[in-house]
Amino acid sequence: MISFFTSHSKLFDQLAINALLALSLSVCLQAGQLALAQAAFMGIAAYISAILATQAGLPLVPCIVLGALGSTLAAMLLALPVRGLRGVFLAIATIGFGEILRIVANNLHITGGGEGLSQIPADANTFAIYGALIVVGLGLFGLSKTKFALAIALTREDETAARGVGVDTAGVRFWTLALGGTIAGIAGVLYAHSNFFITPADFGFGRMEQILVACVIGGSTSAVGAVVGSIVLTLLPETIRFLADYREVTNGAILLAVVLFAPQGIAGLWQRERRK
Amino acid sequence: MLVQQLVNGLVVGSVYALFAVGYTLVFGVLDILNLAHAAIFMVAAFTTYALVSVGVPLWLAFIGGCALAGVVGIALDRVAFAPLRKRNAGTLIPLISSIGVSIIIGAIARGIWGIDEKHFPVALGDAPPIHLGGITVTAVELVTFGAAIALMLGLSYVLRATALGRNIRAVAEDRIAAVLLGVDLEKTIVMTFFIASALGGAAGILTGLQYNSVTVDMGAGIELKGLAVIILGGMGSITGAVVGGFILGAVETLSVAYISSNWRDAIAFGVMFLILVVRPRGLFGKRALRAA
Amino acid sequence: MRTYLSLAVLAAFALTAPAFAAGKSPAAGKTLKVGVIADVTGGAGVYGTPQKNAYELAGEDIKSGLIDTGGVLLTFDVQDAASDGNQVATLMQKFITDGSAVVLGPTLSGEAKKADPIAVKANFPVVGTSTTADGITSLGPCVYRVALSEAQVIPTTVKKTQASWKYKTAAIIYGDDNAFTKTNGDIFKEQLEKAGVQIVDTETFHQKDVDFQAQLTKIKEKKPDVIVIGALAPEGVKIIAQARKLGYTGHLMGGNGLNSPTIYNDAGPGAAGTAVGAGWYIGANYTGNKAFVARYKKRFGGDPDQFAAQAYAGAEVIAAVAKRGATTPAEICSGLKTLPLAQTVLGPIGFDVNRDVKSAPVILQIIKGGFAYFK
Repeated sequence: MISFFTSHSKLFDQLAINALLALSLSVCLQAGQLALAQAAFMGIAAYISAILATQAGLPLVPCIVLGALGSTLAAMLLALPVRGLRGVFLAIATIGFGEILRIVANNLHITGGGEGLSQIPADANTFAIYGALIVVGLGLFGLSKTKFALAIALTREDETAARGVGVDTAGVRFWTLALGGTIAGIAGVLYAHSNFFITPADFGFGRMEQILVACVIGGSTSAVGAVVGSIVLTLLPETIRFLADYREVTNGAILLAVVLFAPQGIAGLWQRERRK
Repeated sequence: MLVQQLVNGLVVGSVYALFAVGYTLVFGVLDILNLAHAAIFMVAAFTTYALVSVGVPLWLAFIGGCALAGVVGIALDRVAFAPLRKRNAGTLIPLISSIGVSIIIGAIARGIWGIDEKHFPVALGDAPPIHLGGITVTAVELVTFGAAIALMLGLSYVLRATALGRNIRAVAEDRIAAVLLGVDLEKTIVMTFFIASALGGAAGILTGLQYNSVTVDMGAGIELKGLAVIILGGMGSITGAVVGGFILGAVETLSVAYISSNWRDAIAFGVMFLILVVRPRGLFGKRALRAA
Repeated sequence: MRTYLSLAVLAAFALTAPAFAAGKSPAAGKTLKVGVIADVTGGAGVYGTPQKNAYELAGEDIKSGLIDTGGVLLTFDVQDAASDGNQVATLMQKFITDGSAVVLGPTLSGEAKKADPIAVKANFPVVGTSTTADGITSLGPCVYRVALSEAQVIPTTVKKTQASWKYKTAAIIYGDDNAFTKTNGDIFKEQLEKAGVQIVDTETFHQKDVDFQAQLTKIKEKKPDVIVIGALAPEGVKIIAQARKLGYTGHLMGGNGLNSPTIYNDAGPGAAGTAVGAGWYIGANYTGNKAFVARYKKRFGGDPDQFAAQAYAGAEVIAAVAKRGATTPAEICSGLKTLPLAQTVLGPIGFDVNRDVKSAPVILQIIKGGFAYFK
């Protein structure tokens, strides 16, 4: 058992980091915001911490704090210009934001440009990563018991009605985006410190698509769904490796099947079973 | 140099425009962002390549490619969108659905044609470039530009002067009212997908001919640029897609010429972002902000 | 008396001759599993697929005896990382713990920077066959590379072309979002400046771009004597075709990335004369090279490119090390260190103190339908 774990520790690490990323998006989706900038927030924090770790020798925990601070600030800054956008418009604006940041990272000297930043100290071991996941999980669980969580749900269901009963929907949207930024930032720092090397391409639209798919197939309106979806998505390439040439098409087929037959996601399926 | 760069921009822009028209048509009628459009773009190019390699004349292969693209578009709707429409699934789920189909189409294409770049055997690209008063342009580029304009004019005619076109515009305007007025909703949607996908396919074939390159991932770059075009032009507006496509092509080319090639894509997306913040409905869009 | 002596000597030779002839490894009969990480699918599929092909061919050649492993049972476990950094890392970890003795790969320099440190931590040997950016072999004492790096090839490229073409001005166009093409562009710039050449314009592009006319029009305005192309084959072929189409009549040159049949097949007649600084020449007379090309062509229906050749050479190097008795990770690591020259399709190669390959770069020139040595 232990040896299975150590020989697959990379996979377990990726599992937790993907779960964090899915949670960061889930927070926004639960408020009804299709804000697709989590990959960019991840990247901002990853670069901040990588630069601090390689240039100033900062250890892991301060890196996480400063990285997440950076990504949260970025999320807050983004929230302002896009506050009037909804649905697909918001999605596209945030995708554009992500692309712009990726190109900026590609062109700056301090980020290493297209060559990326290497030799990032690998001080994020499995315990640190799962520790962070547990902390975030507990935090979100605590959040779900507050009135704010109710405000989030109301905003998602019907924004106008929510405002009618006195919910500060603008505040809900702002703070969920900021929270998404924080969680994505934590994931970003852990990613950088367990991967030795980062490039701008790691944080582009491809990554964002993966996070989005994980959330949706798990169940886009719950944190549990996000985690379930990310587990499935992380393990899928490895479990169907035996399919070799048919892996790609199986990926797409599974995605399609879940979307068509389990619209509430896999977590939703399970909940439906429970209620029977 | 400015004139040559503008010519370059128009060439790039005509493909953007043709691609975006299909994108925006589906969005305007169904409120769906079809992320499999880029895969259809690619499949059409491969189909035409395959037909040309077995001796089919180019013009016929072009039509064949567009027709196949249209059929794939219909299949896409039937498999990935129609079941969700019945369920009233919102905007997010169809988007993911289209990603799934796009992956499948890509995998099938790779399975059939492999991973390397295909080149057209026809010597279209070998014709010597035409030099007109200091600017250089090739026959292929002229054909691309011409074909794009012709197709877009054709679409405009269909929308304005045919019954089908009227139905499409009615459904785009107000789906429920259109149904109440007797429009056959499903048939109209199917035809919309056929036309939109055929146009997207045409864009793919022209791109493949233009750069003499057909690859499984040729849709990747244009997918996001297409978004920028329809935002600039206005979601749901055909005119917007056309004008937006040309403007984006020109902006990109000129920014390389006078600013720096490093920032070309950032400028394109920056313009898009700015439009969304300042004037979300773009140049010609009728819809303003949409509630979630 | 002398007859008996000579007979006895002859007999002694006769008895031991089979052992010499067969060249058996001290490890004969043992198995050596090589883990291969290649991007067969995904964005880097064009580079990983030839690699996979080469290993398939190498596997067959080992069975038929064309590659001599001295009786060691060498097998290749080729796994597709789908151009996904996460999968590369997971695969590296898998190979380290599943009884494999060495990893060949990964395909991209960026992937190597992510995954090689995992192997370094476990003292596990990795041999890169296509990862030519800076900072890879320096990752650890068991990271080797059979592919000549940009830093090793470009100085010779500049020297040779300068001697023949005597250019005074140059423009560079390179991909800025890929570790390989960026290193390519940067080193060319550095070497040209060192040679006293004036760089009149520098342009960049991104991977998968197809239209370079905006950049090339700008470059053409500045009238450089030579345009340097820091690109991989898919982009390189279009840059060359479009540069000529726009009417540029000066010289063209590039690095490793242009060493591909695509360039002479599909860049049009204007590609003739382009100089390519490479690590392998398809027409070289090295032991087994021409036969390799013929076998590859027969098996896969097209000429091999540099990715395939270097992958095959990687297999040949492992075979050479196995023949000398190495079958465990530790043995292979020291085996690579002490390997004298191994005969491969890249020519005779060995490793220097930095674990980079010791091999001469070859400057090629595109001619109609193929490559030739640069004149």
